Amino acid sequence: MKQIKLFPHSYQRIGYVLLVPFLALGIAHMFFEFNPSWLEFKMITNGQLEFSASHNFTDEVASVGLIISLILIAFSKESIEDEAIQFFRLEALQWAVYANYLVLIISILAVYGTTFFQVMTYNMFTVLIIFILRFRYILFQYNKVGYEK
Amino acid sequence: MKNKIKVQRAIHNLTQDDLAKKIAVSRQTINTMESGKYVPSTVLALKMAKLFGVPVEELFELEDED
Repeated sequence: MKQIKLFPHSYQRIGYVLLVPFLALGIAHMFFEFNPSWLEFKMITNGQLEFSASHNFTDEVASVGLIISLILIAFSKESIEDEAIQFFRLEALQWAVYANYLVLIISILAVYGTTFFQVMTYNMFTVLIIFILRFRYILFQYNKVGYEK
Repeated sequence: MKNKIKVQRAIHNLTQDDLAKKIAVSRQTINTMESGKYVPSTVLALKMAKLFGVPVEELFELEDED
């Protein structure tokens, strides 16, 4: 049967390992204005290296790192990836998209101005985070199913 | 949809674990199929029918609400 393309099971652990530093970097940047100088780069503008202009890449590194680690966690195979698991995976994904956009609609109506940009920043990750939590919860319930001879 | 997986499993003296291994799914999948919470794909239904040596209609049966 045609299988959905997923990462090997071992990539899930890599995802969790990567999540820790990138999440820490993201939180440090968002809440403590952490912008290490080694992530400061000179910018090329109009094809020339302009020495006055530089950009700090902390938020770029944190965002891309977070997205990659969340994707690895979300879309790695389970140890036994059978059709029932795939069914629950798709179900959880649909649930997550609904939940994410419901929260987004509420935010659009309730949050204005620059605070809304903060909402959009979180919204880059929430669909994956909600999916992971929902899928884990479904699997937790699924694994509780009693044993019958 | 009703199914007789549990009955056939008993006839062939297989545990849920044994059956799961034979058709390459998890033990929980067997459990949820037996309790009717999960409806297997045609491929999986045919695999089980073949393993038990019965036609697939004998393993699965439509109900009025289907």
